Amino acid sequence: MNQHVNSSRMIVCDGNEAAARAVVLARPDVVSVFPITPQSSLVESLAQFVADGALGAELINAEGEHSVLSALQGACLAGARTYTATSGPGLAFMFEPYVRTPGLRLPMVVSLVTRDMLSPQCVWGGQQDAMTVRECGWIQIYCEDVQEVLDTVVMAFKLAEHKDVLLPVNVCHDGNYLSYGVSRVELPAAELVDQFLGQPEVNWHIALDPERPMSVDPLTGGTGPGGAASFVGYRKSQVRGMAAALEVFSDIHAEWGERFGRHWAPLVEEYRLEDADIAIITIGSMTGAGKDAVDAARDCGQKVGLIKVKTYRPFPREAMIAALGKVKAAGIVDRSVSFAWDCGPLHQDVMTALFASPLRLPLVGFIGGLAGADITATHFERVIAETTRAAGGNVPSSPVWLNEHD
Amino acid sequence: MTDTHAHYLIVGSSHAGREALAAIRMADPKGRLVMLSREGRMPYSPTILPYVASGRSQPDRVGLADAEWFTENAAELVLNAQVVAVDPAARAVRLADGRRWTYDKLLLATGAEPVVPPVKGLDRVRYHVLRTLDDALSIRERSTQARRAVVLGAGLVGMHAAETMAAAGLDVTMVEMRPHVLAEYFDPKASALIRQTFERHSVRMMMGRRLLWAMETVPGSCRLGLDDGTELEADLLLVAAGVRPAMAMLADSGITIDKGILVDDRMRTAAPGIWAAGDVAQARGFLTGVPVVNGTLPEAVEQGRIAGMDMASDPDLIPYGGGIPLNTYGFFGRHAMAVGTAAVPEGDGIETVTDEGNGQNGYCRIVLKDNRLIGLAAIDRVMDAGILWRLILRRTDLSPVRQQFLSHPLETARALMSRGWR
Amino acid sequence: MPSQDTIRFIPERCDGCGDCMTACAKAKGGASRISIVGSGGGGWDIALCRQCGDPKCVANCPAGALDKHYGSGIVGWSQDLCVDCHLCTIGCAYGGIVFESAAGHVQKCDLCDGTPACVPACGKGALEHLSAAARLHETHADKEDLFVPGLSACQGCNSELLIRHTMRRIGRNSVVAAPPGCIPGMGTVGYNGQTGAKMPIFHPLLTNTAAMLAGVKRQYERRGKDITVVALAGDGGAVDVGFQSLSGAAERGERILFICVDNEGYMNTGMQASGSTPFGSWTSTTPVGTVERGKSTDGKYLPQLMMGHGCAYVATASTAFLDDYHTKLEKALAASRTGFAYLHVHAPCPTGWRFPAAMTTEVCRRQVESNFVTLWEFTAEDGLRFTHAVDRPRPLSDYVGMIGKYKHLGNAEIERIQASVNRRVAFLKGFCRQPSAAE
Repeated sequence: MNQHVNSSRMIVCDGNEAAARAVVLARPDVVSVFPITPQSSLVESLAQFVADGALGAELINAEGEHSVLSALQGACLAGARTYTATSGPGLAFMFEPYVRTPGLRLPMVVSLVTRDMLSPQCVWGGQQDAMTVRECGWIQIYCEDVQEVLDTVVMAFKLAEHKDVLLPVNVCHDGNYLSYGVSRVELPAAELVDQFLGQPEVNWHIALDPERPMSVDPLTGGTGPGGAASFVGYRKSQVRGMAAALEVFSDIHAEWGERFGRHWAPLVEEYRLEDADIAIITIGSMTGAGKDAVDAARDCGQKVGLIKVKTYRPFPREAMIAALGKVKAAGIVDRSVSFAWDCGPLHQDVMTALFASPLRLPLVGFIGGLAGADITATHFERVIAETTRAAGGNVPSSPVWLNEHD
Repeated sequence: MTDTHAHYLIVGSSHAGREALAAIRMADPKGRLVMLSREGRMPYSPTILPYVASGRSQPDRVGLADAEWFTENAAELVLNAQVVAVDPAARAVRLADGRRWTYDKLLLATGAEPVVPPVKGLDRVRYHVLRTLDDALSIRERSTQARRAVVLGAGLVGMHAAETMAAAGLDVTMVEMRPHVLAEYFDPKASALIRQTFERHSVRMMMGRRLLWAMETVPGSCRLGLDDGTELEADLLLVAAGVRPAMAMLADSGITIDKGILVDDRMRTAAPGIWAAGDVAQARGFLTGVPVVNGTLPEAVEQGRIAGMDMASDPDLIPYGGGIPLNTYGFFGRHAMAVGTAAVPEGDGIETVTDEGNGQNGYCRIVLKDNRLIGLAAIDRVMDAGILWRLILRRTDLSPVRQQFLSHPLETARALMSRGWR
Repeated sequence: MPSQDTIRFIPERCDGCGDCMTACAKAKGGASRISIVGSGGGGWDIALCRQCGDPKCVANCPAGALDKHYGSGIVGWSQDLCVDCHLCTIGCAYGGIVFESAAGHVQKCDLCDGTPACVPACGKGALEHLSAAARLHETHADKEDLFVPGLSACQGCNSELLIRHTMRRIGRNSVVAAPPGCIPGMGTVGYNGQTGAKMPIFHPLLTNTAAMLAGVKRQYERRGKDITVVALAGDGGAVDVGFQSLSGAAERGERILFICVDNEGYMNTGMQASGSTPFGSWTSTTPVGTVERGKSTDGKYLPQLMMGHGCAYVATASTAFLDDYHTKLEKALAASRTGFAYLHVHAPCPTGWRFPAAMTTEVCRRQVESNFVTLWEFTAEDGLRFTHAVDRPRPLSDYVGMIGKYKHLGNAEIERIQASVNRRVAFLKGFCRQPSAAE
């Protein structure tokens, strides 16, 4: 690869390639891959980078996602910085080692190129896959555009490997809209990224290493002597690591901004919220159209702002409450469904956050963009209109399905 | 804990004590293990003594266990330690020299001592017994000066001694009050075969006679008078008229004794923390169920092992199967053996089959009850005593192979055991 | 106590010709120390010194004439010290030490200083000189035992034997995976902060052992470190849910050694059937009732499948033939430096198969002697080679009859298993480079 070592440069690429280029910059030791739509071009790029010598990693072409993640677990226990990407059914197949990774405190980075879940049979974007695993103990980050994908994948390694966190991170970018959406992005200089990330130290706490012989993950818990206390100790520290991620990630974003000049909001981004009456809450690539709609409404004199959720797990409760404190009503646009609550999962989290604060305001739920459907500025006009009505006291009892008649 | 406290204290250093020591160490590598021996020498077997007396075995080459063996077994041997009293309540023993040892677990394996019959004048003549190596050496020394030897008692010790003295060129006479030699093992016919061999080797066999008196002739020699009027001259008189368990130290101990120290099938005595094994113990007889003193070397080994395993709480312990008379006997190059009640007469459900080999070819007597072997005696026949012992102990039903067993006992017994082990 | 040589007698092959006795008598002068006796019904049995580990003949000797040589294993007899009391013969339950009147003293086998004359004299193969244990002891006894004492394996389980032998050989410079099953169930990985082995060891999932090990190995290769990477998996973690990752790792030629310890079911969780469970077996999920009679299909034969994976080495093994196992372990370890190595070790389960705990090794042996289990190795270059060809197999009923999980079977079912055993042997022979290599 003809990348300049000391200076950044501009390139044009899609989100999958941006993620792959970020992985090259992060210099992982082991990358394991298995193709699945809409992630495939990402791992194809990785394989090509390895073939070209641009990425000096061990590449394991595993026979399925289950083994992909398993191989990475082994590599990580042997001290490797690791990466893979998956999507939809691949994530489902990966589930068994997936749920185990946070408990082992293995600091992996895995891109989720989000896809709606079967069935009905579909191969298109939607966040149902990532949302389904939101309670597994992985950190989940959602990106808005191709540049943010690139920057966030790099930052995710620093977050995962931070000793106060030590947890696996999913960087989610929307299938179709970000996976294939091409944009002009700035590629940071490799040497600067090296300085930013530092040397990986991923298995200081747990290792499969003859120089440090130990039993990794012996049977723990039960009613035997110390079993319960031991298990609780592990679980509590895992929860602490998750909670610590919010502050650590904020610091990482601040450092990134200083080093590379791009200042992303680490947890939630407040867009034109200062004097807003209502806010729309977005997650992922829909945010761009949402911001356009906010701008258009502002041009018409409507006091509308936007809250973009970037860090979804752990949920940035304080940041969300602070943002909501500035408006009288909010409309939440989910790209997936929480079947238990007849709303979107993000909607459910916002409700939970509100309950933990003295704040009370009407929330309107919207579900859109399923299975590759586009959420356009027109859809957001409806979001703004419904949310404005709710601020006046007229709150629909169930979610508004944006693409219901598209 | 003092330096005279042992977790395991073994009194006696012959086969039962030695086997118990080894068995304890198999199960417990650590607990302090001390063996007290009344001897000033390293342990040896009483069974070897006639051979030392005859000069066949060298006294310095008959050790049962050397210092290295005790070191390997992390055990201590205390010599010149004759126990004269046992205090079960205090868990202590007192030695002849006043020393005292305390224990958590005690094994009495003190063996047996010779019985000297009350014969007029015997206490005023020089006679020998054969219990210790010193006794054997003393006989050996006397043999070099003596010409005429008299052996009182035709049990195993007396027979061995008579044979070895005859082989050494002495003029030997045996006096036995019972009509047969080795009567506890062999039926009259087998006994007669053995006796005739002795007679062929010029040993005078005076059976059914009793010694009435003894008187010194010249210093070291004596004249002996028998109940039939016979008078014998002896330069060397060996009294081998039987033994009895050595348990004088139990007087006033409260431990239950009969002919020997009564033990159960784990060799436990009635006193907590005290076991007994070997010639001093009186354990269940296999065929009778009645406790017997079965003073044979294989039984001492068996009982010692059981006692040791039980003392060390070895979970693999299989309780004692019961005592059976056992004897193998080599004499003048011939071989005799008796296992079980080989001498019992026929009748009362007992069948015997005797093969006299035309008077030329050895002798074999098989004793069956309910088609199970209860005894077998043989002379000059190849026979596996160990296999026969186990056929008896297992009460192996011989019905399916009865005819083969009676005609070919060696091969049939081997086949039965070979199959059983596979 | 070291392991030592012994002579094994296979009664089915003995025709009572007595050639062994002739050879012994000639070699030793005088009477033979090995005795073949008719057992009635046309069979033959043996009386011979077993060179016992704790010999009672020695304990019964008052003269110090008998002793056990812990180097050679031989129970030695000294004519010089013997006093001809014959008490030793009372100690022996095998007819192994006998008074011979022609010689005038007792006689016993001394294994002819390591090359017993009787064994080659037997033209029927009824005698085998088993020196493997002694050799293994010599080779491996000084190596460190890396497995903890006090494991909670079921009584009679041969996995502990296998694990100890394997760990001793591979040593500390290794990483071991023990997926859920009996092997970690007996404490191999550890419980609540305690370890089960003195080496890096871990629980993978039941499903992903080979993949996790591939990741471990790749990272060490990347760092230029030669680490031995071994799986000790059960059949569930290999033939069933573990198969995909095993297959993938084998196809990719990952440089690892995968040992499948096959107890033909999910024994750790209560004896459920697995893909490896043979036809007819009772298990808790293929029970015997009025309608169903145990497992209705044959088991999957994984070693054969592994031959199709381009492995560097594939072999089967049995703990009744530990020398054979060690030979294969050496080859497998060497092969695991260049590609994927697979060992399939048969592990009869006393608890789940319902046979006495003391019989495990005999069960292993009969598996092989009946061809229910075949011992072979395979490489792409040399094809399949039987390492312990059984030319005169026992009838399968000799093996099946020992096992409680088959006790409901009738002759028809046993014949069906016999037929599938025969088919398998014939099929495997087809992989031999030269058919005569099976000899």
